[in-house]
Amino acid sequence: MPERTLSIIKPDAVSKNQIGNIIERFEKAGLLIVAARMLHLSKQQAEQFYAVHKERPFYKDLVNFMITGPVLVMVLEGDNAIVKNRDIMGATDPKKAAPGTIRADLASSIDENAVHGSDSPETAKNEIGFFFKSQEISPRTRRK
Amino acid sequence: MFNKAALFALFFCLWTIAAYSDTPAQQAQQTLSIIKPDAVASNHIGEIIARFEKAGLCVGAIKMVKLSKQQAEDFYSVHKDRPFYAGLVAFMTSGPIVAMVLAGPGAIEKNRNLMGATDPAKAAPGTIRRDFAESLQRNAVHGSDSVATAEFEIAFFFLPSEILR
Repeated sequence: MPERTLSIIKPDAVSKNQIGNIIERFEKAGLLIVAARMLHLSKQQAEQFYAVHKERPFYKDLVNFMITGPVLVMVLEGDNAIVKNRDIMGATDPKKAAPGTIRADLASSIDENAVHGSDSPETAKNEIGFFFKSQEISPRTRRK
Repeated sequence: MFNKAALFALFFCLWTIAAYSDTPAQQAQQTLSIIKPDAVASNHIGEIIARFEKAGLCVGAIKMVKLSKQQAEDFYSVHKDRPFYAGLVAFMTSGPIVAMVLAGPGAIEKNRNLMGATDPAKAAPGTIRRDFAESLQRNAVHGSDSVATAEFEIAFFFLPSEILR
């Protein structure tokens, strides 16, 4: 049963023109892009999206970083999409991320870490619903 | 705050703008790019976008959509009387597409060079169509062919507020 997860290419990676490089990694790992939109988050949207981290010390900086430029939000689909996406991203802190992961290759710090990915099926459902209506998700109608 | 590399980059940008601002084609320009249903289905979205970014085109807007028949007919209405029109509309509605605004100096021409000839059999090696397209109809990408077309095609997919870079 294919699973869906939310991926965000964050403002640092968008401004470094790494969108294609990042999407290529997902596609080569067998994840399908079934929804995508570029947008510039408002402060309120960023606060709501990260509301679960409200009490954490990094919350304010995270919100401020996420509104510094446009982001690309996507729905990825495939077997074990949530875990697979997290493996491709690598550890939150790029210094601890394994070689060949997105964060090891493209992220500059724990704050500006290039990508976001849902961490559980429930989070994925909420995060996908935060950005996309069901009619904005396009299941593949053809294989090739 | 500024290190030498950042200052250099800043002056280089200013120099580039100053040096090229008198030639219209080199001014910052926008063009519409579409990754067509064949290239979406074969999972070449990332590779195609990477080619644009590596060539210095900046992606200013992206939207994945599944066109309705009506939308595809409207988008290609300029080809209404051509023999390939019905087949093109049917192909363009066969699966989702990725519509994008590409921005940069000479974006229209640069995008067309990266795509290669409409017919992949005639496209130069290293172009998107040579590498990813299957046939004249299923040819992986679309790109605006003039300033006027780019304006119409960008407005077809994006509100000005959705163009972010």
